[in-house]
Amino acid sequence: MSCFDSLSAREIARGVANGEFSAEEVARASLDAISARDGEIHALLQVTEDLSLARARELDGMRARGEALPPLAGVPLSVKDNMNLIGSRTTCGSRMLEDYESPYTATCVQRMIDAGCLPMGKANMDEFAFGSSTETSYFGKTANPWDTERVPGGSSGGSAASVASGEVTLSLGSDTGGSIRQPAAFCGVVGLKPTYGAVSRHGIVAFGSSLDQVGPFGRRVEDVALAMNALVGPGADPMDSTSQECPVDFLEHLEDGVEGLKVGLVPALSEAEGISGEVREGVRAAARALEGQGAEIIEVELPHIDDSIAAYYVIGPCEAFSNLARFDGVRYGYQEPGCATLAEQSEKSRAKGFGAEAKRRQMLGAYLLSSGVYDRYYYKAQQARTLITQSYARAFERADVLLFPAAPRTAFKFGEISSPTEMYLSDMFTISSNIAGNGSISVPLGSGPESGMPLSVQLQGPAFKDRRLLVFARAIERAFEAKGAVAPAFAGKGGEL
Amino acid sequence: MALSEHDVRAIAEYARIGLDDEELHEMTAYMNDAVAMLKPIVDFDPEGVEPTFHPIGDLSDVMRDDAEKPGLSLESALENAHATEGRLFRVPCILGGGGLS
Repeated sequence: MSCFDSLSAREIARGVANGEFSAEEVARASLDAISARDGEIHALLQVTEDLSLARARELDGMRARGEALPPLAGVPLSVKDNMNLIGSRTTCGSRMLEDYESPYTATCVQRMIDAGCLPMGKANMDEFAFGSSTETSYFGKTANPWDTERVPGGSSGGSAASVASGEVTLSLGSDTGGSIRQPAAFCGVVGLKPTYGAVSRHGIVAFGSSLDQVGPFGRRVEDVALAMNALVGPGADPMDSTSQECPVDFLEHLEDGVEGLKVGLVPALSEAEGISGEVREGVRAAARALEGQGAEIIEVELPHIDDSIAAYYVIGPCEAFSNLARFDGVRYGYQEPGCATLAEQSEKSRAKGFGAEAKRRQMLGAYLLSSGVYDRYYYKAQQARTLITQSYARAFERADVLLFPAAPRTAFKFGEISSPTEMYLSDMFTISSNIAGNGSISVPLGSGPESGMPLSVQLQGPAFKDRRLLVFARAIERAFEAKGAVAPAFAGKGGEL
Repeated sequence: MALSEHDVRAIAEYARIGLDDEELHEMTAYMNDAVAMLKPIVDFDPEGVEPTFHPIGDLSDVMRDDAEKPGLSLESALENAHATEGRLFRVPCILGGGGLS
């Protein structure tokens, strides 16, 4: 007997296909692990036991009939609670959607299920994805499995924590300004934000429509590659006009290595003020590791990158204000009873349904889009976006990937950052690739020598070269031998297979 | 020029977000902090630079054939509403006067 959390996605799927264990046994092992572990971290808002067991029995039935099994058969999956899944509520971590029943299943979730994944539950998140610590969820915070007094990052903190604690093998999150990569870094797992357009967003509750992207979390680079194959494999999604064809096998070149390829360091970022010593040293160590495998390290500049945070906190709130205007208490969402007029109902429903940060972002967006203000902020932010995108294009003429910190420091303690605008700086290294739309990934290096918490680096690549990111991530994983690590306090706790 | 509580009250009305007096006070402080953080955009001189409203400008739209296809059922569309009547969402009076219209 062993715990399923020691197995990779490929090992689970192979075990199910070979009859070493059934998909239902894996589902029950994951449910057992969730039962034993989630009380301490609150990574999941709902456990979808019936859905996971039903899918497992389908897979076991296919095997019994001698049918070929899909590549992720029996792999436990959690999904961020802004993704619709029939048979579950989709709350976005908000009172506004506390009772909202998913009317359909998001394309990305359906593709993972079609690939054989077992939908184990819906993961906690900052309310409507507004946050970097998963402290703003109406349903309570999620704790970091490596130290439960610390945040898991955010906004996809529940997704990252559910993987880091070994409750599930894979998770889906969304990333508007770093919401996959920063929690992946804080929880010591791999987190990929694919290029904008690579993964369908149909069925995801929108935050910033020109910034949002869906991507996978896993404890191994190979697991993330398998998830990407599932997410892009069937082709562009006709239900999402931003969805593009990505005919790529993410496993195909995973072990190719990085010899002869160029890694760009951006001194203005990797040596910037406010970065902790261990994060700074982590970037240098990752660069040395890639150099040791034959990559060439060069320095590149990213002019205008300093404008990314300001541009993001114009574009993001403006798009959020527009997207969240739909929550007026009429078609869905919290409704204040007894109102005399529609306007009163809307104002009171939104006052009670939204939490403080959701109100702040919408208020800022409303102001920035108002007459006389728009030209000074919104339009100029989109001009800054042009220059930031051009900076990336020039950098990628010289370098195959760029190497950055993923976050300025490792996971901080609950309540340690109370100022909203200070919290916004947590995303200082991740925001620029949402502005430009290119892909990027967080890769764990092991524990930081100062904090003892997971330490990671970020790789960024050109648009639609996400497979290349995984090749570099795999090279780092090989060098640091950090793959597959479940947070020690949780490893092997429940979940015997 | 800093935003006053009067300004922020007007923005809240536009955004249809009710704020009590304490929230208004805190929101005004936040709005001024946030707008100060955005100063690089105000100082930015973008003369002659075209804006990028979409992250990857040369992507083509995915258009499906203009043909009728099944969509969300009426039952599903109404499932999450608090007040419905037949095929319709039921709302309070839109132009004032009180009561359900």
